[in-house]
Amino acid sequence: MNIDRMRSAAATVQRGSPVRGWLLLGLAFTFECAAVAPPAGGAEAAAVSIQAGAPSAAAVDLDDPARIEAGRKRFNKTCAGYCHGFEGKGGRAPDFRGRTDLPPQFAFDTITRGRTGADVMPPWGGAFSVEQIWELVAYLQYLGRQPAE
Amino acid sequence: MNSLPFAGALRPAALAGALLLALTAAAEPGPGYEAPNDWPQYHRSYNAWRFSPLKEIDKSNVGQLKVAWIHQPGNITHGIQATPIVIDGVLYYVSAENNVWAVDAATGRTLWHYAAKLNPLSKQVFYAAASRGVTVGRGKVFLGTLDGRFVALDQKTGKELWSTQLTDMKTQYGALFSAPPQLAGDILFGGTTGGDQPISGKIYAVDADTGKPAWTFDILKDDPASWPGDSRAKGGGSAWMPGTYDPRTGTIYIGTSNAAPDYFNADRKGDNKHTASLLALDPKSGTLKWARQEIPHDSWDFDSAYEALMVRDKDGKERIVHLNKGGFVFVMDKDDGQLENVWQFAQHVNWVKGIDPKSGRLIDPVYPEEGKRKTFCPNLLGARSWNHGAYNPGTGLWYSHGMEVCNEVVAGRDDPANLTPISALSLGIDEIKLVPPPDDKPHGRLDARDPLTGKRKWSIRYDMPPLSSVLTTAGGLVFTGDMEGRIYGYDADTGKELWRFNAGSGLRGGPVSYAAGGRQYIVVPTGLGSHAPGFLAGAYPQIKDLPGGAALIAFTLQ
Repeated sequence: MNIDRMRSAAATVQRGSPVRGWLLLGLAFTFECAAVAPPAGGAEAAAVSIQAGAPSAAAVDLDDPARIEAGRKRFNKTCAGYCHGFEGKGGRAPDFRGRTDLPPQFAFDTITRGRTGADVMPPWGGAFSVEQIWELVAYLQYLGRQPAE
Repeated sequence: MNSLPFAGALRPAALAGALLLALTAAAEPGPGYEAPNDWPQYHRSYNAWRFSPLKEIDKSNVGQLKVAWIHQPGNITHGIQATPIVIDGVLYYVSAENNVWAVDAATGRTLWHYAAKLNPLSKQVFYAAASRGVTVGRGKVFLGTLDGRFVALDQKTGKELWSTQLTDMKTQYGALFSAPPQLAGDILFGGTTGGDQPISGKIYAVDADTGKPAWTFDILKDDPASWPGDSRAKGGGSAWMPGTYDPRTGTIYIGTSNAAPDYFNADRKGDNKHTASLLALDPKSGTLKWARQEIPHDSWDFDSAYEALMVRDKDGKERIVHLNKGGFVFVMDKDDGQLENVWQFAQHVNWVKGIDPKSGRLIDPVYPEEGKRKTFCPNLLGARSWNHGAYNPGTGLWYSHGMEVCNEVVAGRDDPANLTPISALSLGIDEIKLVPPPDDKPHGRLDARDPLTGKRKWSIRYDMPPLSSVLTTAGGLVFTGDMEGRIYGYDADTGKELWRFNAGSGLRGGPVSYAAGGRQYIVVPTGLGSHAPGFLAGAYPQIKDLPGGAALIAFTLQ
């Protein structure tokens, strides 16, 4: 697990972030993720191997402000630009604000494996490390606690 | 080239077709009028008019159009994005996951169905599920697949004749053929997805009869001044829409995409040829005849991938009319790409003060900057999406949709660690948000314009930009539809709405017209799909509530 990368992501939180004042509290990453290697061989292998070794939601502090902020940043850089809209609003998926129907493990699995319906979300298990996916889940949970518009 | 004699069960349809000449416009000669009863290629004719010479359905009776039949492919993922092909009473189209259908064009009965056996990697790509059509000719139906192959099927049976793997999905970020490869004589050519991905775009060509690779054209110029460092290896530029082939001069015209990373341009300082360019290629050798780069050093995702419309000016000279996503139409000589004019198509343009109509020079472009939030109009989907316009030689007007939506962008370097999967995009952003244009609401349009000057004859405004291609006919009509599933028939002279039908799910494909069994048909692909509605939902929250679907609906007069 690349703690340096996580630290760097947390340290470059942008001004105006919803959790900026809490940031320093979050720099102590304590959960176990060393058992899971970051994907190296592309999405094909990664989508499966991550599932096998991923920590459960219970092992990850999804309320950790630094984790939420790292998720927010990565979400807006990737998920929002691809499909989901700035701060989870807009996109073909329902807005993430006020969502109560996305249990953390379900969100983790969907990001990892993708889904297909009338639209397609490709699997992103090869794009993000396990921690990065939990950061995204933490951010989605944070959005779920915000009032729906 | 495309009219093959049919045997057996298909012959009656062909004979009926021969009786239909009375339905067509006075036998006009030349491109745009050939094979009037058919829709033999993607834009119907190589001049990309999307004009049917049929006129049984006209302004006086279009109000009586009724559903003749509906063909449902069953899988609604990303809707139906194809433009059907119709030859001698048989309609060919492709639905989700590379399912190809041959359908009796008079009744909607399935004649054969081919389901491609796709590499499981195709489930991991970003540009999943959807194809924009097939190509028919030389007794074959040609398909570009979602796993990077060209495939030829027997036109009568749908049996696979050959299959040629052209891309390496693993190393080319899932580069695949979402557009139908096109015929240039005995050459079959086409480009891939990947304009927004860290690959080096290529155009592939094979022998149409055997599938044997003929040539591969590297879109990104091997020139360190154009591509410093290793930027060329991941500069995008893919030609992701179908090209056209002018058999008179033996020239392929095909447009290329934006440069990648889209908004982060610091590592590719140079003009980034031949991204955002219209290319003229020799189909035999695969060499470049000429290139017209419309957006040097593109930094806004402004592809030049759209159709090369060909029309005559007042002196009878044929000009290419080419819309770029940045909101300008480039008018050029078809033989050497020399600029004749550049006119502004989009209402809201702020990334540049203008484009010099003589030299093509960008006047005071405003570039994205790392870490800075800037608003750019048009947004990354462009002044129009890829939904094609249509040209009617009777009115002399070009009918094209437009969209007026902007985006706020914070440019940023892609995180290399996040670029590992084949689905990854290289947008070069930290943030992006679709926003309304300054002092306006986001909206869409259907414009009727002089294609050479841009002079507007009429315009229809829509709250949400339609994503359907446009059809025009010798009956003086224009057909299109919107994201909510309303199909419209307009008066080509005035834009007056003459007919409307609610299909229940939005339009993203190409409506066509043809004659079969003694009647003229209008066939409209319905079923909202593609990533564009998802992007647009940032500006239109109601889009997420629009239903998907997949139904090919045929209309005719009772």
